[in-house]
Amino acid sequence: MAERAQSGWSTVVRWLDAPWLKPFAMLALMIVLWDVAIWLFNVPPYLIPRPWDVVKAFGTDGPLLLRESIPTTVATLGGFLLSALFGIPIAMLIAGSRTVESYFYPLLVFSQSIPKVAIAPLFVVWFGFGLAPKVITAFLLGFFPVVVAGVQGFKALDTDMRDLARSMKCSRWQMFTMVSLPNALPAIFSGLKVSVTLAVVGAVVGEFVGSNSGIGFVLQRSIGNFELPTMFAALVLLALIGVVLFWIVDIIERFALPWHTSRRHEFVATT
Amino acid sequence: MDRRTFVIATGAGLVAAPALIRSAHSADKVQLLLNWYLYGEHAPFFYGKKLGLFEKEGIDLQIVEGRGSGVSLQAVGAKSAHFGHVDMSAVVRAGIRGAPVVSTGVLLQKNPAAAMSFTEKNIRTANDLKGKTVATTPGDALSQVWPAFLKKANLRDSDVRLVQGDAQTKLNAVISGQADVLLGFSHDQSMKLKDATGKSVYPIMFSDYGLNAVATGIVAHRDTLSGSPDLVRRFMRAATLSAEAAEKNASAAADAMLEADSKAGKKETLTEGFEISTKLYRVTADQRPFHTNANAVKETVDLLVEYGGVDPSAKEKLASFFTTDFLPGKATN
Repeated sequence: MAERAQSGWSTVVRWLDAPWLKPFAMLALMIVLWDVAIWLFNVPPYLIPRPWDVVKAFGTDGPLLLRESIPTTVATLGGFLLSALFGIPIAMLIAGSRTVESYFYPLLVFSQSIPKVAIAPLFVVWFGFGLAPKVITAFLLGFFPVVVAGVQGFKALDTDMRDLARSMKCSRWQMFTMVSLPNALPAIFSGLKVSVTLAVVGAVVGEFVGSNSGIGFVLQRSIGNFELPTMFAALVLLALIGVVLFWIVDIIERFALPWHTSRRHEFVATT
Repeated sequence: MDRRTFVIATGAGLVAAPALIRSAHSADKVQLLLNWYLYGEHAPFFYGKKLGLFEKEGIDLQIVEGRGSGVSLQAVGAKSAHFGHVDMSAVVRAGIRGAPVVSTGVLLQKNPAAAMSFTEKNIRTANDLKGKTVATTPGDALSQVWPAFLKKANLRDSDVRLVQGDAQTKLNAVISGQADVLLGFSHDQSMKLKDATGKSVYPIMFSDYGLNAVATGIVAHRDTLSGSPDLVRRFMRAATLSAEAAEKNASAAADAMLEADSKAGKKETLTEGFEISTKLYRVTADQRPFHTNANAVKETVDLLVEYGGVDPSAKEKLASFFTTDFLPGKATN
């Protein structure tokens, strides 16, 4: 009997220690702290809503929020894919040629200091109120981390490894596909993970500036109407979109880089 | 000292004493948070400050630009600013959600909301809007009265195509031709369009279609009203006198604004914008600036309840949204 109770207790402990449960536990703790802070400092609801009111907003405005999350996700994915599509080749060029690096890299860094929210209204002027300005804003925010991480990854190739490949008379293509790219992939994926979360921000900035739909549109309208619970619900949904997209990139990374040091512990044989 | 001299000296002392006592104390530092970036309507506050009208009331006024009526109202509600200059619709929307912010005087008794376009487009009546593209900002004061305007003008939602964006995008959309019309204030956005393009702008005033809602005015926190009623009274007196003085000299009022901030705009359009705003100050000839009445506020609340999605309980709380207790009496000059 005691053995059974002990085994039941250890199952509960194992469950509580499960990695997937930890972020939820942290989230629950933060929600409790949020509620306590509102109660403690007597923060009025027109400044910050209570967590329960946000939950209720999900109930009343849930269908609307889900519907509006689709255009935001589409714009995010569009911007992210463009970031990967242009960011990785540009990183290769910068890492592979000192001339390209000296001409373009400083300008690229310079361009990142320009606040996107300041130039986003111009995208609406140039490209209209459709999907394009949102995708471009998402791309501009997501592009830089991919390039920086890619350059770092491509440049971090060990000279011994390069010499070995050359001694084996690898062609340029073989050198790229079998040595340089696999070596750069971990850094590229780090950049992609940062990029996808920034692309969410970019898409919302685009929607804030000019859009008839999307989470940015909902945010702007609910701020004007003092519908703070709806606004916070939209923010939570936005964060969830970011988390899910990050997680998807993480899964792709697991499949692409099963050999990498960061993944090795998952494959350590259990003895 | 003979008796006559003594009496005169004592009398003069009694008259001068309050002023001397006030000047002995430092002036109250007061922050006025505007509803938006500077435009013509704000000129009286700068002019009053320049003329020393606030100083005379023992107020050291600091005027701060805002980022929308809603945000300014929240700041006043959080006591980050003493007074705000915000739209009445924001007062009602926030008030119904418990914000302890009260209007102490409405400056614009008539609504400045308009659907405006370049005059060359020949869009002069609500009927001309049919089939046109209209730029709006979701959640702003204008988008909240837009459904009421459509109804009053016998138009349907499907009669126009809406494109939505932030305040700058609205202007850009009309300037670049992506939208025919934008919803804005007749004394603000129309001046900005004129500044940017040099073209004249024609506003279709919502008020011409029976949309009578009061607009911007001064707000304060409930605690300020109860804790410092004298300060509120002095502020409202200075603000009223400032508006009256500015009305008499629009050009000087615009100059005062430009002296305070050279980037406030062009003098001609600031003056014109201010002059347009003064036409919205009163519904009766003897009405002093900021003096609104219960009926006008009631009409505004009714409109917001009927078309703006405001909770019907707002109609029962009318008195909680505004007060005229702190306004100066009838003008004596």
